Amino acid sequence: MEKKIAVYICTGCGIGDALDVDALSNVALKEYKADICKTDAFLCGKDGVAVIKNDIENEGVNTVVVAGCSSRVNADVFNFGPNVIVERANLREQVIWCHPADDEDTQMLAEDYIRMALVKQKNMNLPEPYQVENLSKTIMVVGGGFTGLTAALESAKAGYRTVLVEKEDKLGGYVGKMYKQVPLKPPFTDLEENCIPGLVKAVEEAGVKVYTSATIAKTAGGPGMFDVTINQNGGTVEERVGAIVLATGARPYDASKLAHLGFGQYENVITQSAFEEMVAAGNMEAGKVAFIQCAGSRDQEHLPYCSAACCVESIKQALYVKEKNPEANVYVYYKDIRSNGQYEHFYKKAQQAGVIFIKGDVTAITESDGQLAIEADDKTMGTTSEADEFDLVVLANGMVPTAAFGEMIEEEAEEEAAAAADEPKVVGPTIIKSNMLNLEYRQGPELPELKYGFPDSHYICFPYETRRTGIYAAGVVRAPMDMLSAMEDAAGAALKAVQCVEATAKGEAVHPRSGDMSFPEFNMNRCTQCKRCTEECPFGAINEDEKANPLPNPTRCRRCGTCMGACPERIISFKNYSVPMIGNMVKAIEVPEELDEKPRILVFACENDAMPALDMAGINRLQYNPWVRIIPVRCLGSLNLVWINDAMAKGFDGVLLMGCKHGDDYQCHFMKGSELAEIRLSKISETLNRLGLESERVRATTVNIMDYDKIPAMLDEFAEELEELGPNPMKDFQ
Amino acid sequence: MKYSFYPGCSMEATAQANLKSIEAVASALDIQLEEIPDWNCCGATVVSGVVGDFIQQVMTGRNLAIAEPKGQDVVVGCSSCYLSLAVTNKRFKEDEHFRALANQALAEGGLKYDGTLRVRQFLEVVINDVGFDKVARRVKRPLKGLKVAGYVGCQTVRAIPYEFDDPEYPVLMDRLMEALGATATEFPMKARCCGSSQTIPATDIVIDCARKIFDSAAAGGAQVIVTPCPMCQLNLDAYQQRVNQLHGTSFNMPVLFFTQLMAIAFDLAPDAQALKYNIVSPYEALATYGASK
Amino acid sequence: MEQNNKPVKYDLTFAREIYSLENGSYIKQCMQCGMCAISCATREIMDYSPRQLFNLIKLGKKDEVLQANTMWHCTSCCTCKARCPRGVPLVDVMHDLKKYAIENGYADYPQAAFYKAFWSEVAGRGKVFEGGVTGRYYLIRGLDEVKKAMDMKDVGINMLKHGRLPLLPPKKVKGMGNLKKIIRKAQELQRKEAR
Repeated sequence: MEKKIAVYICTGCGIGDALDVDALSNVALKEYKADICKTDAFLCGKDGVAVIKNDIENEGVNTVVVAGCSSRVNADVFNFGPNVIVERANLREQVIWCHPADDEDTQMLAEDYIRMALVKQKNMNLPEPYQVENLSKTIMVVGGGFTGLTAALESAKAGYRTVLVEKEDKLGGYVGKMYKQVPLKPPFTDLEENCIPGLVKAVEEAGVKVYTSATIAKTAGGPGMFDVTINQNGGTVEERVGAIVLATGARPYDASKLAHLGFGQYENVITQSAFEEMVAAGNMEAGKVAFIQCAGSRDQEHLPYCSAACCVESIKQALYVKEKNPEANVYVYYKDIRSNGQYEHFYKKAQQAGVIFIKGDVTAITESDGQLAIEADDKTMGTTSEADEFDLVVLANGMVPTAAFGEMIEEEAEEEAAAAADEPKVVGPTIIKSNMLNLEYRQGPELPELKYGFPDSHYICFPYETRRTGIYAAGVVRAPMDMLSAMEDAAGAALKAVQCVEATAKGEAVHPRSGDMSFPEFNMNRCTQCKRCTEECPFGAINEDEKANPLPNPTRCRRCGTCMGACPERIISFKNYSVPMIGNMVKAIEVPEELDEKPRILVFACENDAMPALDMAGINRLQYNPWVRIIPVRCLGSLNLVWINDAMAKGFDGVLLMGCKHGDDYQCHFMKGSELAEIRLSKISETLNRLGLESERVRATTVNIMDYDKIPAMLDEFAEELEELGPNPMKDFQ
Repeated sequence: MKYSFYPGCSMEATAQANLKSIEAVASALDIQLEEIPDWNCCGATVVSGVVGDFIQQVMTGRNLAIAEPKGQDVVVGCSSCYLSLAVTNKRFKEDEHFRALANQALAEGGLKYDGTLRVRQFLEVVINDVGFDKVARRVKRPLKGLKVAGYVGCQTVRAIPYEFDDPEYPVLMDRLMEALGATATEFPMKARCCGSSQTIPATDIVIDCARKIFDSAAAGGAQVIVTPCPMCQLNLDAYQQRVNQLHGTSFNMPVLFFTQLMAIAFDLAPDAQALKYNIVSPYEALATYGASK
Repeated sequence: MEQNNKPVKYDLTFAREIYSLENGSYIKQCMQCGMCAISCATREIMDYSPRQLFNLIKLGKKDEVLQANTMWHCTSCCTCKARCPRGVPLVDVMHDLKKYAIENGYADYPQAAFYKAFWSEVAGRGKVFEGGVTGRYYLIRGLDEVKKAMDMKDVGINMLKHGRLPLLPPKKVKGMGNLKKIIRKAQELQRKEAR
């Protein structure tokens, strides 16, 4: 496409007062030979936008640079359709709002941002959306329990063909065997009849294709084109589906490990599920019952986590006893009652019904004449307590996700790692062969786990997204939860699956780069089969052939650019994001000579958290160091080390990477990006030292969106330390 | 603006200043208060501790039953009475079983209450029905420079939480004082308990509570304390000297009903200001504002 | 709060009796968070905070509960009631406990005498006369208390000087006869309800 470039400089919001706008125009027109450069006092207003539209229609402009506010605002105003490239130079939030007006350094900063924007658009093309052949919009739900049935129903009700796969011969799962269920509707105080029969009927009536006694032998392909092989009754069925909801649930924790609570020793110490069966069968005759919470859960010896549902389930079961006999004595021993959200009302209801709640740890359970006695530390009394004559003791034995059962996949490529032993190693995701999806993915057959078998997701921003695009975990396989949360989860995951098939049909990315139509393209001629891209992709988007050539699956891709950052040969690029593009931006920045005593610091800032934080620093008028030049990146994972090279060669005194927190409780929107960037960085420190460049000049830091107030100090401190090191010795060798 | 008025027992004894200033301020602001005929004691916070809520609320309900035919809002000047009447009224409105039973008892006196009235405090009526602007316009001698600690106390804002102002840190009486031209001081203890009716059986409690309140008011730089509550006024006023004796302090902080301060700002007659009832003398602190004997 | 380290037992007989009081059933909603304790103006001199008292009820410690000064030190300031996240109307619960304690012969606290004196005033006159309440209070409490009262006489004299202690009682409620009938009927209904 022949580019006709127009630059529009907005002088509103104080930009015109703080900067020499004519000089900025000169940069565009004289230095960069832009075809058009105009200024407007209110560019985002009706008239301002009309000027741009007029130039597009009548002057043939197809590439627009808007120099004004941040790209995070007015994105809709400055959208001129799919055929016009739009790039923004942020003169407001990151220049005039955080640097003094009428100042030489501020002016230099603004001019550099105009240069960077012009170089950027020169290196970018319009993305062409990836189109899937024989795209399927069918949603497949794996698991026919409460969550799976709800998800299937939601998906079918939204108008999508839905397939449900259940391994048992009957739908319903764990909830299906219950006597009654916890309340799912206001006022959240009353036991409800089991909803499973109604749900099964609704699912059937909604036209969901149900496979019972079925397992998944193989899942190949990707979003919009998953080819699933289902084993059923000895035969196999093929289904092509667009997205998958994984709702395989959990299993109760193995009570045989709870001998310290009398399980296995005394007949009348039973599990929550056994009690449920007993009541459902009408065999519950006990007049004095104790429920013991956290039997296994929140216990470092057993399940370190809270199983989330047991408190409300025990409250429900306590009410069974009271329903049968209001005079019955029911005790609940607990650590903390975690009746989240609306279930607080349910807890209160049980208290009103006369269930006695005792905050304390059970220290011993003994039996005499068939009756059980409990010793405990009563925390609210500060003493030990004794209670006896229990007919039954019910252990709330927690849950383990079905994804946790199976063999752990061993880290392969040991010998390769040994060859490069001096390099810090990129650790692949942990995957447990739980035999649920059997994915044909290079990185392993199931979802990467976070901890305890629960699948990894960015649970703050998008909890249902797993690390496999198009596969959404819901219910207790995703995280321990009660029924109300599971219901919400099911609907949420079903809607994410719908979003996914619709986005895939348009060739767009899913969260967090929703709407992005670019995807990585590989120049295979120069590929050295080093496997870095296939190993490092956090989403398993790239398979491998026998010769270790990468086989990209664009619909699995989240467009973070981690592969682009990983590739030592730099053969991976997007239409509008590439290694040369950023490299040229670095080179476009003017670095004054040493004698000018104007150091330069390059910041690569993650677009997800660091960029908004930098904008917020501006919005709050926090002033920071004027030597800083900021380049946004899709994710620090896309950081290619050649950019550091470029920056050092250009004479930058320091480079700072601003990305999301990694490690435990990571915040990275692409799971591993910021961690990978740091690993890459650690690899070059030696090289830098060898070149006579202090490796301290290049460093990484974590910024979350709330850290905007810390940004000035962060940059100033880095600048001070660089000042101590002195100027970059490469400065005048350009 | 016409209202039924429930004065309460204290207005006939320890809190005559309250009654006098309320009546005078009301008439200055065109508020007509019609005393509920032959009203009886609300039981305060005490009676239900002897005979239970039900009997106390029936007794209190008698007042509401007498007032109901007029259909006017019932205005209460005493915080403790307000607590009793407001809670009783709420129960008559919301608890049908209670209403039926209580009316069985009231029928013995030929009475019945359907729960149709609103029970309100005089302070709230001044603020919401009259308004700060109108109050400010009525001011003849602005209390410029007078630093006032607004002691709202407990029951005014917590009888029915959020019915009127914030139950943790009420501010509306401060705004009213500002409408009079005074400065409301920082006063963290403004809604803390004064010890209430423990005066007689456990004076220590009152002395202890009062000490904390004086400390807090003094730390904010207040010259006077104002309150809408007769119990608070009595405890802080009558026991201030005792606090000084027992704690070695030298508080000399006049404690006034907010209506007394309004009467002064409105330049009403000495009888309306009713300052002669104040035990800690307010004349010195208020001399420049026209406080008169 | 328990001085010895003997294990406690849970005996619900007493608790059920307390839970059946007018506002007693709300006690069951207590989740032992302690908001009442930190809100209380007189917590420091209470034997047990309200939360602890509710716990003792659950344990069946009748004597400890009814001998406690907790309810008698309650000033009805409503702070805890307004703050209780479980909606326990603590002030009203305390009223019930006072009434229950008096009825069961646990009325040694001066406050109990004061309460009884106050009620006699109201029941006899329809209104409260401070002078009358005080007189009746000292009659119930006996001479020791009068000595204490003499310590307070300067306060009283001050009040008298400022016209705050009228020596004559206010007029009785005119419809006193009717009021008495109403109270009698209410008492009868209350007894019936309790059953």
